[in-house]
Amino acid sequence: MAHFAQAVVLGLLIGGVYALMASGLTLIFGVMRIINVAQGAFLVLVAMVTWWLWNRTGIDPIVAAVVTTPMMFGFGWVTYRLLISRIRGAPASMSVLLTFGLALVIEGVLNLTAGNKFKSAAPPYFEESFRVGSVSLPKAQAFGFLAAAGVLAVLYWVLNRTWTGRAIRAATQNPPGAALVGVSAAGTAALAFAIGSATAGVGGSILSVLYPFFPASHYEWISRLLGIVVLGGLGSLAGAVAGAVVLGLAETLTATYGSLGWSTLVFYLVIMAVLLVRPQGLFGARLREDAA
Amino acid sequence: MTAHSPGQPARTLAVIASVAALMLAACGQRPSEIRAEETGKPLVIGVSLPLTGDFAQPGSEARRGYEIWRDMVNAKGGVLRRPVELKIVDDASNQDTVVADYTKLITQDRVDLLLGTFSSLLNYPASAVAEKNRMVFVEPAGGAPDMFTRGFKYLFFAQPATAPRQADVFVNWIKSLPEGERPGTAAYPSQDDPFALPVIKSMREQLEALGVRTVYSEVYPADTTNFQSVAGTLASRKPDLVAQGAVFEDGVGMVRSLKQLGFSPKMLFQTSAPSNSSQYSDGVGVDSTEGVFYTVSWNEKAGTPLNAEFVAAYRKAHDAPPAEDAADAFAAAQVLQAAVEAVGSVDQDKIKDWLHANTVQTLLGPLSWKDNGEPEGSFLLAQWQGGKVEVVGPPELATTKTVVNPKPGWK
Repeated sequence: MAHFAQAVVLGLLIGGVYALMASGLTLIFGVMRIINVAQGAFLVLVAMVTWWLWNRTGIDPIVAAVVTTPMMFGFGWVTYRLLISRIRGAPASMSVLLTFGLALVIEGVLNLTAGNKFKSAAPPYFEESFRVGSVSLPKAQAFGFLAAAGVLAVLYWVLNRTWTGRAIRAATQNPPGAALVGVSAAGTAALAFAIGSATAGVGGSILSVLYPFFPASHYEWISRLLGIVVLGGLGSLAGAVAGAVVLGLAETLTATYGSLGWSTLVFYLVIMAVLLVRPQGLFGARLREDAA
Repeated sequence: MTAHSPGQPARTLAVIASVAALMLAACGQRPSEIRAEETGKPLVIGVSLPLTGDFAQPGSEARRGYEIWRDMVNAKGGVLRRPVELKIVDDASNQDTVVADYTKLITQDRVDLLLGTFSSLLNYPASAVAEKNRMVFVEPAGGAPDMFTRGFKYLFFAQPATAPRQADVFVNWIKSLPEGERPGTAAYPSQDDPFALPVIKSMREQLEALGVRTVYSEVYPADTTNFQSVAGTLASRKPDLVAQGAVFEDGVGMVRSLKQLGFSPKMLFQTSAPSNSSQYSDGVGVDSTEGVFYTVSWNEKAGTPLNAEFVAAYRKAHDAPPAEDAADAFAAAQVLQAAVEAVGSVDQDKIKDWLHANTVQTLLGPLSWKDNGEPEGSFLLAQWQGGKVEVVGPPELATTKTVVNPKPGWK
């Protein structure tokens, strides 16, 4: 029983972190129908900056998100204005090509500047655990989970309780209607892309503590994040959280009771099963045009 | 300045001066071209390496090893009195690209010689291209057993042993311990990697034959990132020995997870992760490296031919301790050089026959091959001690007599 509790706790902790990483991807898709394949590269970029800050100044990697979040907000804004805005209205496949190119550029620049080496920020607490009865809560995962929960709460609040968030949601649900009541489509899209990129600020910081990474690590992450978002329903924040928790639990429970070799595969089997029953994903809204 | 004539003539002068400078510079180059004519045109060696993608890290180290070899050889007048030129292309860690690369190097660029790429995954198809074109293929990595079941004649693996034989040196050390100090139980998690899994499989078979009971054995895919659940299982089964087939991230991830769950085995062996010097010690924390065993093809302190020169050149060029992958690449180039110089030409069949018949002295020690290109030597058993790496086996090559056993708890 303790063994089971341990597996569930680890799965939930890691699921929270996955949810944060996937939230930016689903937000950007929801508003703009843009599949940002570069989101994984954004995470690795932030992880690299975080590692550098930690290595040079000793700033705690998770605290460093205070620096990297505004940085990524600005980076997202500029990226949107310079690149993404040029393919507005083009088919979604164009966004995959463009953002994949962006991911390759980021990977290349990181290769040249930071080098092809594995890095990981290892603050002293990463190896300690909180103990609750016989269950260990690794501190790095626990802090990562708390940071993720905090960011997701703020994101939820912004989207549902502020005018900016309402404008973003309006532009998601009915672009012409939003334009009619004075919501600037271009401005909202830039803002959503910037917010989506900013979530990589905390996500990348946590990544740098939990996992060794190098410039090409982004492939591994983007495939996992796309899986989460497809399972949860493209564009739904709640869906991303649900998908991430399913992935976290699927990984740890399979590794504990089945085999480690199956732990990544089981998640994709779950995706297939869910999509057979609900093609729009767990929380995906079915649009009128989808019925056709 | 107004007293002088307007700017135009001055500018003309400047143009003439620049043209003259260029012509003079060109004149200055001519003698060296003539010298090149005398000593023959460059000896071009074609290589495709994974400089980007999954194997970018070892691929870039291999490039450094090849380049240091080239510079050292050229400083001494080249090979066959021809300057060596490396033609290195990037295969992005992709099997299709590596095949296209070597095909192009052989058929279009018509390079004189080939050197191998990195990882068994890439060397497997690449060596087939070389074999088909009857080109000698000396590979610095690629010790998976499948490499040598194809009966290739032009393939040579420039490391002391293939993957399954890497475990021997560790098993021999265990055998040398008194009965009471040998591990009673062992756990064998391994990545599904052609260079890691065969080591662990062979170690498990050999240790089971010695009476070491297996309490855990799992193979996991390369993209596994979370090891807490495995660490949780290991913590409950408490094996004396944890022997992990760890490439890199997974090795760091396992140590971190074992620390988080508060379980420290009496012996910890990982295949290649701990050979990544500071990247490994930074990843797991330098105090936690104490007592970790691994097998390795090369050691910085070894007194083998050109090893000290290689280490000095690497440190000078890259301001870092040399990596094993760079040393392996250097050794592969040494092997090719020895054969070319011995036969006095780039005749591929003569080079092949010479390598099958002779032993080559390299910075990894003496290398010789069976008919299928499989090497006949033995790996070194290394151990992290006091934040540094020492060779503890085989006894005749050890750099210290001290072996940390049992491993102290995590710090």
